[in-house]
Amino acid sequence: MPVKLLVQLSWRNLWRHGRRNGILLVAIAVAVAGVVLLNALLRGMQADMKNTIIDNLTGHVKVLHPGYLDDPSIQRGFEMAEGWSADLPADAVAGWTARVRIPAVAMSERETRGVQLVGVDPARESISFLGGVSIRGQQLDGADDRRIVIGQRLAERLETDLGRRIVLVTQGADGRTREAGYRIAGVYRAEVGGLESIFVFTGANTLQGLLDTLAVTEVSVRLTDDVHEPGIVNRLLATFTGLDVLTWKQLEPQAAAMVEFADAAIFIYFLVIMGALVFGLVNTLVTAVMERVRELGMLRALGMKPRSVVAQVVVESTLVMSVGVTLGVLIAIAVFSIFADGIDLTAFDESLASFGLRPIFVPVLKSGDVVLVMVMSLVLGLLASFYPAWRAVKVKPLDALRR
Amino acid sequence: MAETTTDTAEKAEQAEKAEQVVQCRGVSRVYQDDAVPVHALRGVDFELAAGEWVSLAGPSGSGKSTLLHVIGGLDRPNDGSVTVGGVDLTGLNEAQLADLRLRKIGFVFQAYNLIPVLSALENVEFIMQLQGVAGSERRQRALTALESLGIGELADRRPGEMSGGQQQRVAIARAIVTNPVLLLADEPSANLDTATTEDLLRVLQTLNRERGITILTATHDPMVMGYTDRQVNLRDGHVLAE
Repeated sequence: MPVKLLVQLSWRNLWRHGRRNGILLVAIAVAVAGVVLLNALLRGMQADMKNTIIDNLTGHVKVLHPGYLDDPSIQRGFEMAEGWSADLPADAVAGWTARVRIPAVAMSERETRGVQLVGVDPARESISFLGGVSIRGQQLDGADDRRIVIGQRLAERLETDLGRRIVLVTQGADGRTREAGYRIAGVYRAEVGGLESIFVFTGANTLQGLLDTLAVTEVSVRLTDDVHEPGIVNRLLATFTGLDVLTWKQLEPQAAAMVEFADAAIFIYFLVIMGALVFGLVNTLVTAVMERVRELGMLRALGMKPRSVVAQVVVESTLVMSVGVTLGVLIAIAVFSIFADGIDLTAFDESLASFGLRPIFVPVLKSGDVVLVMVMSLVLGLLASFYPAWRAVKVKPLDALRR
Repeated sequence: MAETTTDTAEKAEQAEKAEQVVQCRGVSRVYQDDAVPVHALRGVDFELAAGEWVSLAGPSGSGKSTLLHVIGGLDRPNDGSVTVGGVDLTGLNEAQLADLRLRKIGFVFQAYNLIPVLSALENVEFIMQLQGVAGSERRQRALTALESLGIGELADRRPGEMSGGQQQRVAIARAIVTNPVLLLADEPSANLDTATTEDLLRVLQTLNRERGITILTATHDPMVMGYTDRQVNLRDGHVLAE
């Protein structure tokens, strides 16, 4: 049977029950739009979680002393060889920094809190959240800066503020307690509020001086793309012999698992939503076929082969699915364009922070995901149409004509 | 010499067969109705010569429609053989039977059975599309068929926009446009009033006499029987005297 005739017949048959097929079309479009938008939200969440982890002083790859994660003290530090970074490929590495990161106790006149004291070179911190953070007061002006920058929440908890002094107590390289008073140069506001109560920053050289060491506790590297990760890991392993070189997934396995779950969730949501829709599609097609069983029997009596009857039902289903899927994708793109700049979820800031998410949520629409949904929907529609088609050819022409 | 005699006899038989559009030998058809066997046809012998118009007559349940369907390849006999246009239907599979119906047999059904989403012209063209006839030739032949039946001006109308008689004419146009060796009509006048039936029968008569189309109708309408060359009566699955 010629394809043109097949498509012509199928197209006109769809219009015989315009309202019924219209409702089906809307259902398919809404389901597809829902799946595509849900994917965009999941991808946005995935990207947000990953960026948050990498921004939170983790980087893509980090060099650590093998015992540092169990005992994060300056005793688990290491010294870097001069010029070690010269061989790092510029196209693969967005930036790197060395930090001294140790636990400390922060004391104001009124309160005491446990914190992470981080000695940094501010010029290299464009690779972390510190580079773009909003600061009231001043940012540190170099690795030799003797002042500190603390988070807004910590300032509130210590009941202190900009320009005042707090005392930091920690353990030196020799194992003895060190303490020093620092003036607060700036108070930062982080997108993920939880960071504000944890990290206290000062100049890396200043902190090394306090601890009486030249060691750092970590080298953090940010890459231009994930694909460079294995290559850089190997280079760092060769450079820092005897040290651990860990990726962000190894450092934050729980968060990494949540990021990876987004990939699986896309399929799960698709199967749940489209699976439910397929039952509706099959039901409508079976009804349409059974209503026309006499007509289909007549076509076969006239000489139409069973495979042409199957093809007709399949083409009808494919036409409905194609139009519905296209409509759904267009709706999804239209809705996405409204929220492309981000969805303000400030009201849920606390809950989002616990998942490592930022309050401004930016959905990500990947063309690959859209194509995947389109292809899978059409394949599902195609598979769903075979049952009604089988029902159509199961009836013998003569039995159909007698109905 | 013996061989020559045999050849001559075979040739004579083949020549005779060639003139016979339909040959049924000992055709039996048994249905199961709630596990009770119903003998619709009991060893029927029947022949239809080229150019004949024969009506199968008999009361309901006599087997006339079953015989028509068996000859049309829509039903299979339990026993016996059926030959249509020189093709033995025994052993043909569904696809081969469909092909036979497409190329050798024209059907006119009681309920017209036109495709509702196609116009009259497209309905007539449909069969030729299945046969793979080229577009321009198809259109010309379909228009000619409709015009020959006096409904050329209805070419663009869909079945729902036509009367019963007009629809039946379109069905006949569809059945004859492929020049079949046999036209089968099952109760063609069942849904028509007397005037329209008369009109339809004149059309069939013209096709039979002027174009030599072989027609087999199953009917219990005396008006239809009056137009046919020959009437074959069936009762309880048996062929009675003609």
